[in-house]
Amino acid sequence: MTQAEDWVLLAYRLPRLPSTPRSAVWRKLKRLGVAQLGDGLVALPADARTRELFEWVAEEVTDHGGEATLWLGQPLGTAAHAEIVARMTKAVDADYDAVTAEANTSAELDPLARRRAVSRLRREMRRIQARDYFRSEHGETARRALELLAASQPSQAGSQTGPLA
Amino acid sequence: MKWVTRPGVHVDRAACAWLIRRFVDPEAEFIFRADLPAAPGDATPFDMRGASLGHHGGRCSFETALAAFDLTDPALEEIGRIVHEADLADDRYDAPASHGLDILIRGLTLTSESDLDTIAVTDRLFDGLYEHTRRQLISGRPPA
Repeated sequence: MTQAEDWVLLAYRLPRLPSTPRSAVWRKLKRLGVAQLGDGLVALPADARTRELFEWVAEEVTDHGGEATLWLGQPLGTAAHAEIVARMTKAVDADYDAVTAEANTSAELDPLARRRAVSRLRREMRRIQARDYFRSEHGETARRALELLAASQPSQAGSQTGPLA
Repeated sequence: MKWVTRPGVHVDRAACAWLIRRFVDPEAEFIFRADLPAAPGDATPFDMRGASLGHHGGRCSFETALAAFDLTDPALEEIGRIVHEADLADDRYDAPASHGLDILIRGLTLTSESDLDTIAVTDRLFDGLYEHTRRQLISGRPPA
């Protein structure tokens, strides 16, 4: 998705109270899959989209009486870069693995419940893909498990209630 | 009137430009600047950080604009939910069309010669989306 060389950084400070805007901002950042670099300092691989996402989080921070600045930068040293990438990938891997596990166990469900599971897991996949900045290999496994679930046929004769049954 | 927003327009800015031209200012002239300090003083900014026509209170700029211009058309409100999800994807609304709209406009931005070129096309896109949404609201089902 990106060269992952430039990072966009958001440095922000929000009043401790009220705590609602603080947790709203935090939930938003978590959904974006940010790398937390420190207290009030988060980063994402820079592209037009991530810059804009951070701009609006910054706006939300200032709307609630906080301070926020955006930066572009590169880590000095490849070790730091690799460590952040590894940490972000690990988090996304775990999210994909949860989808894979649930897709596998949902094969046992009745057709209706299985269809519901498929559409819910597909939505979940889109959310994960949006924060999968380094193309986790676990994504392909989850995608295949989900496609298998979507294609699976009713295994029990009990559900065959067509006119010919 | 002059209106200013950031270049590289995506769904929220494209939707706002359409809304402004169709419902607020048919003579609207759009210009593009990196941020608010770079915007000329005689232009009204939208979808820029620090502008009142921006993201506020969990709304995207298009939703903010609907409220600011007192537009209460239910079809526009429905488009607001689609644009919200295409722009923010925070699952606040159930708007399946948002995913496709997001992709189409991202693709357009990649192939357009300019931002004015992009919004010329998205104007047509939103005209169609508006008509479709309007008819669907009237008949209660998707128009054939």
